Amino acid sequence: MKHPVRLQVNGRAVEAQVEPRLNLADFVRDHLHLTATHVGCEHGVCGACTVLLDGAPARACINFAVRCDGRDVRTLEGLSCDPVMVRLRAAFTAEHALQCGYCTPGMLITARDIVLRLPDADEARIRVELAGNLCRCTGYAGIVRAIASVLEARLSEPSEPSEPR
Amino acid sequence: MAGTAHKGVGASLPRKEDARFLLGEGEFVGDIHRPGMLEVAFVRAPVAHARIAGRLKPAGFEGRVFFMQDLDGVAPIRAVSGLPGFKASDLWPLARDKVRHVGEAVAMCVAETRAEAEDLAAQVMVEYDELPAVVDMEAALSAPPALLHEQWGDNVFLESLVDGDLAAIRARAEIRITRRLRTARQSMAPIEGRAVLCEWNGRLGQLEMHSAAQMPHITRAGLSECLGIDQGAIRVIAPDVGGGFGYKGILLPEEVCLGWLARHLRRPVRWLEDRREQLTANANCREHHYDLTLHADRDGRLLAIDCEAIVDSGAYSLYPFSACLEAAQVGSILPGPYTMEGYRCRTWSVATNKPGILPYRGVARTGVCFALEVTLDAVARAAGREPYEVRLLNLVQPGQMPYDNITRKHFDSGDYPEAVRRAVAAIDLPKWRAAQATGEDAGTDMADPRGGRRIGVGFAVYCEQGAHGTSVYHGWGIPMVPGREPCAARLSPDGILELRIGAHSHGQSLETTLAQVAHEVLSIDPEQVRLVHGDTAMTPYSTGTWGSRCMVMSGGAVAQSCTELGERVKAIASAVLDVPPDALQLRDGGVHVRGSDRCLSFAEVAHLFYRQPQRLPPTLEAGLEVVTGYRPEVDTGTFSYACHAVVVSVDTQLGHVELLDYVIVEDGGTLVNPMVVDGQIIGGTAQGIGTALYEEMPYDMQGQPLASTLADYMLPGATEMPPLRIEHLQTPSPYTRFGQKGLGEGGAIAPPAAIVNAINDALAPLGVELTETPATPRRILAAIEAAEVERSGSGTHA
Amino acid sequence: MKPAPFDWLQARTVDEAVGALVAAEGDALVVAGSQSLGPMLNLRLVQPSLLVDIRGIEGLLAVDEADDGAAGPAITYGSLVTHAAIEDGRVADGTNGLMPQVARGIAYRAIRTCGTIGGSVCHADPAGDWGTALTLLSATALIEGPAGRRAVPIEGFFLGPFGTVLAPGDLLVGLRVPRLPPGTRWAYEKCCRKPGEFAESIVGMLRNEAQGTCRIVVGANGGAPVVIDDRGILRDGFDPVRARAALASAGLDGDPYLLKLHLAMMQRAALEVSTQVPGGRR
Repeated sequence: MKHPVRLQVNGRAVEAQVEPRLNLADFVRDHLHLTATHVGCEHGVCGACTVLLDGAPARACINFAVRCDGRDVRTLEGLSCDPVMVRLRAAFTAEHALQCGYCTPGMLITARDIVLRLPDADEARIRVELAGNLCRCTGYAGIVRAIASVLEARLSEPSEPSEPR
Repeated sequence: MAGTAHKGVGASLPRKEDARFLLGEGEFVGDIHRPGMLEVAFVRAPVAHARIAGRLKPAGFEGRVFFMQDLDGVAPIRAVSGLPGFKASDLWPLARDKVRHVGEAVAMCVAETRAEAEDLAAQVMVEYDELPAVVDMEAALSAPPALLHEQWGDNVFLESLVDGDLAAIRARAEIRITRRLRTARQSMAPIEGRAVLCEWNGRLGQLEMHSAAQMPHITRAGLSECLGIDQGAIRVIAPDVGGGFGYKGILLPEEVCLGWLARHLRRPVRWLEDRREQLTANANCREHHYDLTLHADRDGRLLAIDCEAIVDSGAYSLYPFSACLEAAQVGSILPGPYTMEGYRCRTWSVATNKPGILPYRGVARTGVCFALEVTLDAVARAAGREPYEVRLLNLVQPGQMPYDNITRKHFDSGDYPEAVRRAVAAIDLPKWRAAQATGEDAGTDMADPRGGRRIGVGFAVYCEQGAHGTSVYHGWGIPMVPGREPCAARLSPDGILELRIGAHSHGQSLETTLAQVAHEVLSIDPEQVRLVHGDTAMTPYSTGTWGSRCMVMSGGAVAQSCTELGERVKAIASAVLDVPPDALQLRDGGVHVRGSDRCLSFAEVAHLFYRQPQRLPPTLEAGLEVVTGYRPEVDTGTFSYACHAVVVSVDTQLGHVELLDYVIVEDGGTLVNPMVVDGQIIGGTAQGIGTALYEEMPYDMQGQPLASTLADYMLPGATEMPPLRIEHLQTPSPYTRFGQKGLGEGGAIAPPAAIVNAINDALAPLGVELTETPATPRRILAAIEAAEVERSGSGTHA
Repeated sequence: MKPAPFDWLQARTVDEAVGALVAAEGDALVVAGSQSLGPMLNLRLVQPSLLVDIRGIEGLLAVDEADDGAAGPAITYGSLVTHAAIEDGRVADGTNGLMPQVARGIAYRAIRTCGTIGGSVCHADPAGDWGTALTLLSATALIEGPAGRRAVPIEGFFLGPFGTVLAPGDLLVGLRVPRLPPGTRWAYEKCCRKPGEFAESIVGMLRNEAQGTCRIVVGANGGAPVVIDDRGILRDGFDPVRARAALASAGLDGDPYLLKLHLAMMQRAALEVSTQVPGGRR
């Protein structure tokens, strides 16, 4: 039996009828064709599916779409103009923080959360906060450097708006 | 030979491919939608070894569930090796009479959604008559509880022997060290699993398969063999792929099944491997056993290696690499980068009730390096010398290069001892030896939680053969042989250079680095270069991406085709500018008349050719599309090498190992993009650290895989990576286009050896020597306790 | 890995949730944060016919800081309070930083933003942090069921791995956590190889020298958290012999490797409670 759900996805109102067992990752990928969010394990460990749920990082693979009524979902596609994400993208390229690109969307969502929530994070803290995002290609060095560089740049600047548009 | 322009060879150019991935606009197989697409789930064997006694489809869904007998015209997957004595196995895409490992596919279910397909799968009834499970490779060989392939009479895919008469050496060797060593079975675990989307194109009469594949042309060939249709009727496309590492260099039973299904249903069908499938059905690499003896003189000079090694090759020989490769490779590469007088190595590739083996990054080199380097440290201890000194004593010297070693591997170039010397200096060995001597690290005060930590330093050296050519590869006799590597280079009418290669880039950064090669040859801006790869309809035939071959082979091919294309460009410019071709040079994105400012950009040359042929002499034949096939001057492969040095702190209370410092001194010849090279090294090292400390797929006595989720199968995260310093030597290969060497696997080769050597260095005062990976806390604490018991002679230790 | 089909009911009140659970006769599961249940459903380890969703029950998010009942000052957390809210200090903490530290070590941030303290307690994974921490803190589980409301000390709440005293129809609505008396030192030593992993051993300790109290809990031991009742272990620093004997009599000495870990964690916790500056550490 399907249930109605109404939610915001990347700033757009979405209405759908969904089976309760449909997870949020499959919902955004297969129903809304937003395929930036990737699926890697379906048990919450690898982090490839990390999205923003009401502004906070969450696993799309173990949250069910039907439970997101009235909630705000933001995937990587909805952060293309986000100022922190713009910086992170440049930093990820400068620091060679991706190779195959599969873990990258979830990694960016988590990276953005670190930058916004923990402006004083040092390298050790960055690494701990990345524990929930697995990468098999890069060995994390470029990812850590990229996040550190964005943190450092922001520390020396006046604050910017950080709400996603 | 180093790049002169900052965008050519030698430049750490940021990656072009990043743009789409950072926006989430990559296109992986799972991202592709086709109208009417159906989803597939497989019924997989829950037992390791059984005859199939009966099977039943759920009532009312007979048209949605398929057993092997339904797949008319489909032949089993056969990956046969031409090596003498190799025994073939038939891998039916869906199990026909027997299942031989947990997770083997038995039935295929199709539905509108994956969830519904799994519902169907849960209702399929299969009756299994269980047989004893063959789990331990030594038992499989010498005392098998059962035979996987009864007609063989044993469980041996292949026995191979590199023979040598060691009697005289044995008699005079003053040091003899014998060890039994093991590397555990692992899962390669790329973050994206395997993925297949298949549909029948009626207009073209062609099966179109998107697959997360490393070697699409090989997949196409294998599909043709199994489906009984010609290759012209098959198109394989590897789009963006989320990591391979060897896991996706295979013709999959699932690909064969979906290939059949797409034609049968005339609808697109999709299967996306989930993590549980990957872990439970496909932990398929790294499991080796070594009985190794090193004979040395009193100074630690290696006289001979004598080895018997077993590779646990799982239940089936997989396509194309076959079950011969890893075990036979052990015999040919065990000598490593060292000189010696004698050598003997017998290996067995053994069949067990586990998934069939695939070559994982480093292939046999990781196990071989582990076995040899750990035992060499024991030789050093017996000789009373520093481990690094024993390396320096035995490494092939730069003056000997090129060097044909005792197994006739042709080392092209390098200064192996210099890598060791620099690593020793960079890790600051004297500092750590001093710390060990003062007991500064140890801390015996049990009230101090940091008490009981012991510091150790470990080294490992290896050399890595990459870009194996025809002459050294055809001897395996497996279903693929690399030949000349092609590249089709074409200038578009507006001057964009399209490079078509048969290899595939899934993290290797080829879209950037091959553009750098084109820039090096033509001076065309890398932004004006497009790499086309992955699609068998659009690219020339290649064996694909494996064995660290791409920059040597595809890079050489790109350079060769671009060189020829440059001649064509000059021919056109020569005609139009009315100067002889040798008065022209390619620079700054165009063709220039030497000593004048007359020039034509590539775009202008292309425009002339395509849009204004009337301005060209009618005798000008050659156009702006070139296909050439490249092979290096000497095609026996390149040998990159490195020394890894690591400092560990072992917590003797908890068994935890902290990596305090990690240095890699590596030589990959000319580095086309040093940033990309470092990325490959670091990524490989992370996998090596996984092998050394964390990753293991254990099986119980019934052949059940015990780590079915990522909570149990521990992958290294950001906190498991040490501070890592990399130094580069760049000794060019004399055989390749720019002197570049294949090097992508190296990071995954040395860490288990270096880290376990460091642990053994730390715990040597306790009488502990580990000889097994991963060096988990449980193993470390058990070894410490066993050594205590042995030392004290006491039998009880509560 | 997709779940078997289930239906879903969003309860608006506790009574509605309890009623739905009773009506389902044991074939329904409560879903709070879905961070533990999601993987179990995806893996088809559980296949309920109905999920009773309590996320919409507002009262379950409430935090009552003024609970000064007969048992002393306490804070009552609604069962839907997330690990992240505790980690971030967005809800009151009466444990001098113990609860935020415990929260910070649970899984990963993306899990903590959704996972709830109540859901974790009801899931009762033996390696789950809140089971051990709340046992250390002598918390009380507040349960609403068909027979009304009852309070169960957390020590009696767990019945071994993944087992609790909750009967079909029961709903955990809150957790009452006594405030630590002034001058109490605490330790929470978690042995795991990677951050966020399930621990192989957890030892929690409380010590108040002025009051002469101490409490030792050993968790992640394969079953319910175990209270070690022997003050002698800490009398002169740390007595490993007494500690080992206590672990043995609690039945935790079956695996020599795990025994070593429990002992090492106890030793580290003992050091922490003898040196910690009262008032907590971050």
